[in-house]
Amino acid sequence: MASPIWLIILPLITAFGLGIVKIFSKKLLKPFLALSATIHLILVIDVVIRAFEEPMIYSLGGWDRLFAINLVIDPLAAIMALLISVISYLVVIYSLSFIKEDKSKYRVPKYFLLLFLLIAGMLGMVLTGDLFNLYVFFEIAAITSYALVLIYKRDGSLEGTFKYLLAGTLSGVFILVAILLVYLSTGTLNMARIAVKFAEVPGQLKSIILILFLTGFGIKFALVPLHTWMPDVYPEAPAPYNAISSGVGIKASLYAFIRVIYVLFGFDFIANTELTSLLVVWGVITFMVAHLMAYQQKNLKRLFAFSSIAQVGYIIIAVSLATDKGLIAGGFHIVNHALMKGAIFLALGIFIYYFKAETIEDIKGLGRSLPLTSFTFTLAALAMIGLPPFNGFLSKWLIIEAALESGYTVAAFFIPVGSLLSLVYYLRVLQSLYSSGEPKPRVDFKRPRLSLELPAVILGFSCLLLGIFPRLPLDMLGQISHYLLDSSNYINLLLGG
Amino acid sequence: MRKLYCLILAILLASMFFMAFSGLQEVDMELSNFYLETGVEETGAINMVTAILFDYRGFDTLGEATVIFAAATIISFLLPKKQTTMLKDDFSLLVHKSIKSVIPIVFILGVYLVVFGHLSPGGGFTGGVILAVIAILWTVVFDLEYSESKLSYSTKSLIEDLGALAFVIIGLFGMIAGSTFLASGQAGFYLGTPGEILSGGAIPYLNMAVGAKVGAGLAIIFNSLIKGE
Amino acid sequence: MELTYLVIAILICVGLYAIASKRNLLKIVIGINILESAVIFLFVFSSYRPGGTVPIISGNHELFVDPVPQALALTAIVIGASTTALMLGLVIELYKRYDTLNITEIRKMRG
Repeated sequence: MASPIWLIILPLITAFGLGIVKIFSKKLLKPFLALSATIHLILVIDVVIRAFEEPMIYSLGGWDRLFAINLVIDPLAAIMALLISVISYLVVIYSLSFIKEDKSKYRVPKYFLLLFLLIAGMLGMVLTGDLFNLYVFFEIAAITSYALVLIYKRDGSLEGTFKYLLAGTLSGVFILVAILLVYLSTGTLNMARIAVKFAEVPGQLKSIILILFLTGFGIKFALVPLHTWMPDVYPEAPAPYNAISSGVGIKASLYAFIRVIYVLFGFDFIANTELTSLLVVWGVITFMVAHLMAYQQKNLKRLFAFSSIAQVGYIIIAVSLATDKGLIAGGFHIVNHALMKGAIFLALGIFIYYFKAETIEDIKGLGRSLPLTSFTFTLAALAMIGLPPFNGFLSKWLIIEAALESGYTVAAFFIPVGSLLSLVYYLRVLQSLYSSGEPKPRVDFKRPRLSLELPAVILGFSCLLLGIFPRLPLDMLGQISHYLLDSSNYINLLLGG
Repeated sequence: MRKLYCLILAILLASMFFMAFSGLQEVDMELSNFYLETGVEETGAINMVTAILFDYRGFDTLGEATVIFAAATIISFLLPKKQTTMLKDDFSLLVHKSIKSVIPIVFILGVYLVVFGHLSPGGGFTGGVILAVIAILWTVVFDLEYSESKLSYSTKSLIEDLGALAFVIIGLFGMIAGSTFLASGQAGFYLGTPGEILSGGAIPYLNMAVGAKVGAGLAIIFNSLIKGE
Repeated sequence: MELTYLVIAILICVGLYAIASKRNLLKIVIGINILESAVIFLFVFSSYRPGGTVPIISGNHELFVDPVPQALALTAIVIGASTTALMLGLVIELYKRYDTLNITEIRKMRG
C-alpha cells in the first residue's frame, strides 16, 4: 500500500544515500543498489495494479488539488511507469557487472548515482500533472543523460556530449518559454486547469506554443531533422545507458509531448487543424530518412541509433491520428520498442564487454562463441524488422490498420517499405553475426556472466511472448485513450469533477 | 554565406517569440492570486517567493537541487584531481590577512540569508551561493591545496549528500504526520507568528538543507573547474 | 510593454545567432547564456504589475508583483547554471585533449 510518491523519491534517496553507504563499506554498495532497485520494482507494480483499478491522484504538500503539484496516475502514466521501471531494473542489474571501476575508484558509485537520478527524472516526467514540474524532471533526466554518456571519458564522448548538451539546452529553453507562455495566458500551471482555460487563448499564440513544444520535445525524441545529436552520442555511451535511453528515455519525452497535445490542446484542436497530417508526414519522413541513414552505418550503435529514430517516426504517426486505434497501436509500439531495443543494446553490450565488438565486422563469428546472447539478439532484431510472430509485427500491423482507417493510405503504404529497408540492414548484421570468423575475447572467457546475460534474455524472450500473447498489454492499452481523446475525463479526474 | 543563413534563422525565430509575447493578453492569474491571498496564513512565511519555492511547489525545489547535485557529481568526476599550478599563491600577506578576516563575515551573511529566507529576500539558494564563495575565496586567494585542506572534497560531498537527504527526510515528516510528501502547514507543523524567525513550519529547515547542499555543490563545481595540469 | 518584449526578442536573436554561427566553443557557451538570460528576463518582466511591490507581505501594501514567475525563474537560473557549469567542464576537457577550442578543428581531428 505504498503511496505513488515513493516511485520518485526512492531512487532519489538511493542516489543521495550512495555517498554515505560508500563511507561505511564499499562492499555494501552493490547489495544496497540491488535491494533498492528490487523494492522500487515491487512498489511500481503495486501502484500500477491499483492505478488500473482506479486512477490515482497524489497532491504534494497536502494542498488543494487546484493549487498543488499533483501526481496523476492514469492508465497511460501507469503503463509508462511500469515500462520505465522494468527496463531500469534490468539495466541496474546488468550494470552491476557491466560497469568496471577505474583508477580513481569513483566511476561505479557515480555511475549508479546518476542512473538512479535518471530513473527518478523519467518517472517524474511521466507521473506529474503539473507543467512546470514536468520541466524540472525533464531537466533532471537531461542532465543525468549527458553525464552518463561521459562516464567512460572517451575522446569521442566529449564532442558528442557537447553536441547533445547544445541540443538539450536549446530544447530546454524552448520548453521553458512555452511553459511561461502557457502560464501567462492561462494563469495556472495545473494541467487540468490549463486544459479548461486553454480554449480562450488566441489561435496564433496557441500555434506558437505548439511549435515550441514540438521542437523542444522533438529534439529529445529525435524527430528528423532534430535528431543529429543521437547518432553521435550513442556509439560513445555505455551500452546499458543506450538501452535505457533508447528504450525509455526518449519515450518519456514522447509521452510528455503526447500529454501536452492531448490534454492541453485537446482533441478538438487536433481534429480541426492540420496537425495530424503534418505529424503523419513528418513521421514518414523521419522513419524513411532514418532507415536510409541506418543502411549506411558500420558502427552497430550508430546503426541502432538510427533505427531508434525510425521507430519514433512510426509512433508519431500512430499517436497523431487521434483515434482510439491509433493510440493503442502507438502505445503498443512504445512498449515493444522498449523491449526490443533494450534486448538489442544489452546483448550488444555483452559483445562489447567480452569481445570489444563495435562494428558489423567485429561481430563475425560471435554466433558460435556466445550462442544464447546471439540468439536473444536475433530474436530482438527479427522483432525490430517486424516479422511475425514477434511483437514488432503486431504493433506495426496495428499502426497500418489505424492509418488506413483514418484515410492515410500513403503513410500506410510507406510503413511496409520501411520495414523492408530495415530487413536489409538487419539481415546484414545477422549474417555477419553467424558467419565464420575468429573473435578474440579480451579476457579469459568461458561463458558470459549470468547477471549480464539474464536481463538481455528476459527482454529478448518477452518480445516473442508479447507477439504470441498480446491480449494482456492490449487490454491495458485499451484504457489509455479514455483520458486522452476526451480531455474532460482527465480534467474531471484531476480536479475531482 | 553561412553566417547570413544563421542570422536569418535567428531573426525568424526571434520574431516568432516577439509575436508570441505581443499576443499575450491580460488574464486572471488565479494561481498567484491564491498564493498572495492565503499564503501568509497557510504557510506562516511572509516572503511569498520562498513560500512558493519551499511549500506550495517544494517538489520543484527538490528537483532543482537534484540538478545541481547531478552537475556537481559529473563535473568532479570528469575533471579529476590533479596538482594545480594554475592558481599559484601570488598575493601578498596583506591580501591573505584581510581575506581571512572577511571570511567570517561572509559566513555570517550566508547563514543569515539562509535562516531568514522566509522573512526577507534570500533563501537557501542565495545563501548557499554566498557560502560557496568562502571556498572559492580560499581557492582564488590561497590555492587549491589550502582550500582542499580546509574542506576536503569528500567532506563537501558528504555535506551535499546530507543536505539532499535532509530535504527528502523533512519531506517525509509530512507523510509521517498523516499528510502527503513535503507537507508543512497542512500536516500540522508549528507555523508560528508570521514575521518571526520561528515560523513557516518546515520552510526554514528546508532552506537550511538547500543552503548546505547548494553551497557544497557549487564549491565542488568551482574547485573542479579550476584544476589544471 | 512592447519595447521590453522587443529587447527580449533581440537578446534571443543574439543568443541564437551566436549558437548557430560561432565556431569557438566558449562563444557558443556565451550564446547559450545570453539566450537563457533573455528567458529569465522574460520571467522577471512578466511578473511585473504596475505599482506592485516585492511579494513580502508585511506592512500595509496592497498590490504585489506576481511571485510565481519569480519562483520559477529561480528554478530556471539554477538549472541554467548547472548546464553552463557542465558545458564549461566539457570545454576544459576538450581543450586539454585537442589543444583547440575551434569545433571544426576538433571534428577534423576526430575524423
